[in-house]
Formats: sequence, C-alpha cells, structure tokens
Amino acid sequence: MFTLLSVGVIAVLFANLFTGSADISVSDAVTAILGEENTASDILWKIRMPRALASLLLGGALSLSGYLLQTFFHNPIAGPFVLGVSSGAKLIVAISMIFSASFFGLLSSAFMIISAFVGSMISLGFVLLVSRKVRQMSMLVVCGVMIGYICSAVTDFLVTFADDSDIINLHDWSMGTFSGTSMDNVKVIFIFVLIGLVGTILISKPIGAYMLGESYAQNMGVNIKLLRALLIILSGLLSASVTAFAGPVSFVGIAVPHIIRVLFKTSKPLVMIPACFLGGSIFCMLCDMIARTVFAPTELSISTVTAIFGAPVVIVIMLNRKRGEING
Amino acid sequence: MDKTLISADRLSVGYGKRVIVNGIEFEVKQGEILTLIGPNGAGKSTVLKTIAGYLLRLDGTVVIDGEDTEKITEKEMAKRLSVVLTERISPELMTCREVVETGRYPYTGSFGLLTEKDRAVAENAIEKVSMQDYADVDFSSVSDGQRQRVMLARAICQEPEILILDEPTSYLDIHHKIQFLEILRSLAKEKQMAVILSMHELDFAEKISDYVLCIKGGKITLSGTPDKVFTAEKIMGLYDIPEKLYRKYFG
Repeated sequence: MFTLLSVGVIAVLFANLFTGSADISVSDAVTAILGEENTASDILWKIRMPRALASLLLGGALSLSGYLLQTFFHNPIAGPFVLGVSSGAKLIVAISMIFSASFFGLLSSAFMIISAFVGSMISLGFVLLVSRKVRQMSMLVVCGVMIGYICSAVTDFLVTFADDSDIINLHDWSMGTFSGTSMDNVKVIFIFVLIGLVGTILISKPIGAYMLGESYAQNMGVNIKLLRALLIILSGLLSASVTAFAGPVSFVGIAVPHIIRVLFKTSKPLVMIPACFLGGSIFCMLCDMIARTVFAPTELSISTVTAIFGAPVVIVIMLNRKRGEING
Repeated sequence: MDKTLISADRLSVGYGKRVIVNGIEFEVKQGEILTLIGPNGAGKSTVLKTIAGYLLRLDGTVVIDGEDTEKITEKEMAKRLSVVLTERISPELMTCREVVETGRYPYTGSFGLLTEKDRAVAENAIEKVSMQDYADVDFSSVSDGQRQRVMLARAICQEPEILILDEPTSYLDIHHKIQFLEILRSLAKEKQMAVILSMHELDFAEKISDYVLCIKGGKITLSGTPDKVFTAEKIMGLYDIPEKLYRKYFG
C-alpha cells in the first residue's frame, strides 16, 4: 500500500512537470531535467518544479495537520480549514504583509510562517475555549466556521483598502494558490514541514494511546497536558506553513485522512501519519494540476478544486456518523 | 504471608477544595477484592479516580508497595496499576486485539512497536477473558458484555499488581455479570492482584468481595467482611430503604 502511495506521488509529480500552458514535449522535459539549458528547462526548473514541490510538501502538511486536529478533538471532521485555523493565519499574515510592506518592504518566508503560526494559535485558542463549553462535534465545527468567516471578512476588508502595489499578490494569495512559488520558498517550506512531520512521527505512540480517550491514556502513563500541547503546536505549525505560502486551502485536512483510513482500514498512528502525508501530497498535486490546466490560461484557486473533491467526503462522513448513531 | 499491595490512610478526596469523601482507610492484599458500595453520587468514582491518580488527593496517603503514590512516576505507576472505567470509548477501526494491545504501552519502545513477548501477553489476556473468537473483530461492533471483557483484558495486559474497576458490571445482563465477575475472581487469585471495584449489585458484591467499604454522606459509614456488612439493617440504612419495601423485594 505504501509503495502504491509513493509511486503515486512520483507519478503525479512528473505529470505536474509535463503539463502546463507552455507546450513542452516529454523528450524536451527529460533533457531539461537532465541539465540541458533552454526555455523548457527554465519553465521546468523555475516555475513548474518549485510549484509541484510546494504542493507536494504543503499538501502533505495540510493533511497531517487535519489528522492531528481530528485526534485532538476526537472528531473526524475537524481540520485546519473548518475550524477557522487557516483563516486566522490568513488574517495575521495579511496584517503583517500590509504593515511590513509600508515599513520594511517585502516579508521573508520565515516571517510569513511565524505570522501564520501566531494567527493559527489565536483562532485555535478561540476554538479551544468554545470546545470547553460544547461537547457536540457539530457545534464545534459551526463555531470554527464562524471564526473563519469573521477572520476572512476582516482580511477582505484590509485587502480592499490596502491597495498598495507592494501587496498586489495579496488578493490572489488570500484566495489560495500555489503559483509564484520559488525554489527558495521551497527550501523554507521543506524545513518547516520536515520539523512538523518528524515531530508528529515522534509522538505517534502517545497518539495511539490518546485514541482510547484521555483517562485511559493517562492510565498508560501518557502526560496528557504535554501531548495536547504538542498536538496543537504541531498542527498549527503545519497548517501555518501552508497558509503562509499558499493561502487557506480547504478540505484537504479532512478528506485525505478519511480516505486514507478507509483505504488502509486502520487507524494506527504509525501507518496513518506517513500515509496521510503521502495522500495529501497526491491530492494537492492533482488538484493543483487541475486548477492550472483545465481552464488554462485562466487559473482556478486551489481551494475551488479541493472543495469540489473534498467537501463531498465530509458529507459522506457526516452521513455515516448519523447512521452509526442510529444503529449503535 | 500475603503482602499488602495497596493501602490508604485518612484519605480525603474531592474536586479542588470541595471534599467529597474523607476518612477513607483500607488495605488490600494480594489476591483480594475490595468492593465499594453506596448510593449514587456518594463519591465512589471520585475515590477510585483518586486512588488511580487521576485526581489529586486532598489529604491523607495512598501507598503502593510501601511507596507513596505521589512519588511514583507516571510510567512506573502504569506498570503497577490499571483501570477499567465507566467512560465508553469509541476508537475507530481498531480490532479488539488492538485495543487489548494498547495495554502494553508502558512496556514498548518510543514508537510503540510490539515485541513477540508483548503479543504473547496480549494473546494470553484475550484468552483469560475468553475473547479469542472475537479478537480480530472491530471493537465497535461487539456487544457491551464483550467490550467490557476486552477492556478487562486491556487492563491485565498492562500486567499490573493492582486493578481498579468503576462499576464494571452496570450495563451487563445477568449472564454477563456473572461471567465477568467469575473472570475477575479467578484473575485476582491466579495473578495475585489486588482488585478494587465499585458496584451496585449487592447480591454479587457479597459473593465476590473479601472486604467491603460502604460510602455515604461524605464518609465511610461501614467497613468489614461481607458477612458483617450485608445484613438487612445495614443495607436498609445505607440505601435509605424503608423496611417494608426491603422485605418486599429482598425478604
């Protein structure tokens, strides 16, 4: 199964390299990859490759972030987008962009991620406050969506009135896109996502215990407070990396872990973590490919595509749950 | 000589500053079963949670193997004491065997991979509760009685000296109640564990316990061996049952 996923990642990566508005034949592409310098190699190395790699890394990060939030809330439809985490990150990044544009010029990649992380933590903080009051999963999600809308509204407001040439990309970015990623960006993304992925693998054992509920996990010797804090920080870090570079991307965090669970028929963290990552990579690369090719040269925002494929999965999960409640 | 595995002295339990039960004293030796009885809301669960270390005690001591529980690390505690709780768990896509195997947590390495020995211990625990035929069935699709046996197997898979169970038989029908308590009784003897449980079924409590604590109104109203505790007057008093009604249903 893992081989299948890995092969899938590589196949989709190449498919991404070979498709696009500029017509590059497969043989041209191959020689370009092998190092020959021409227009084709420029397009491949400077445009398509960084973009494909970014969607590979960020897709994995997003899916993993969703998995961590689902674990934390014991709730299969939790995810960075529905809980308003992405939108919170977006708001703070927009604010930082506008302010730093007028004071220091353009933002560095790392600073973008830090802003996004702060934003994620703030909206997660709100969601956590709400989750203390309500135990129902549907209410939690409703609150998350509302927080998301508030943040988006404020962001839109800022974007509308901050019509500065420095933040010309802000509008595109706030809709969600992988375009315009450079190889330098990819390096930064790689570092942050790697930290998130390794961190998550390291806590896979307590995650497994946490799935039986907090009391049992505690009885097995898990430090619950530490684990909960780590879950929140890691998922915030992962989704912040995504939001900082690609803007808020919807539904990947819910849809992919669910599909992976169904495919692998297990919920073992040691299987789920890498599988979610690879699955998220494939899902995002495919969606990005669709976003930029179907109506080329016009590009769709990535969220448009991920929502079309991801939202139905959420509906299916909700329906299954309902049925389970009636039968069980 | 059987040694005392767990004991409490002047223990007082509650939430924050609010004391729920105080003056708790007991001593459980290897192979013995201690049962807590008392009306709903008397604080039986609070007592059990405090003994297990989920709640901070307000006063007094709990000693395991001569060591105060507050001085024992979480991991060490997990190897000595395990629990079966009232809260229902709903793990997704886990077989009964996988649920049982989570009991090996304190013994496995940093990635939680199971060794041959861990698997053997889990298999053994599954056999003890007679769940072999359902070991590979999804946990969410087995019956309440079977789930409870799986949770018991998970607890013994942790290889504890002390087992704590909060109303383990409440949702089971009479057949499964008897089956569960039989398993518990033989486990206590065979593995020389100390067992502390709470229950509402007085008839069963009388048969299975070595020692009984009655909790009511914030204190231990009565304690002793079953033949001393289970007399008509004492039970009527503990549960506030009028004599006429008691005679009607138990007499």
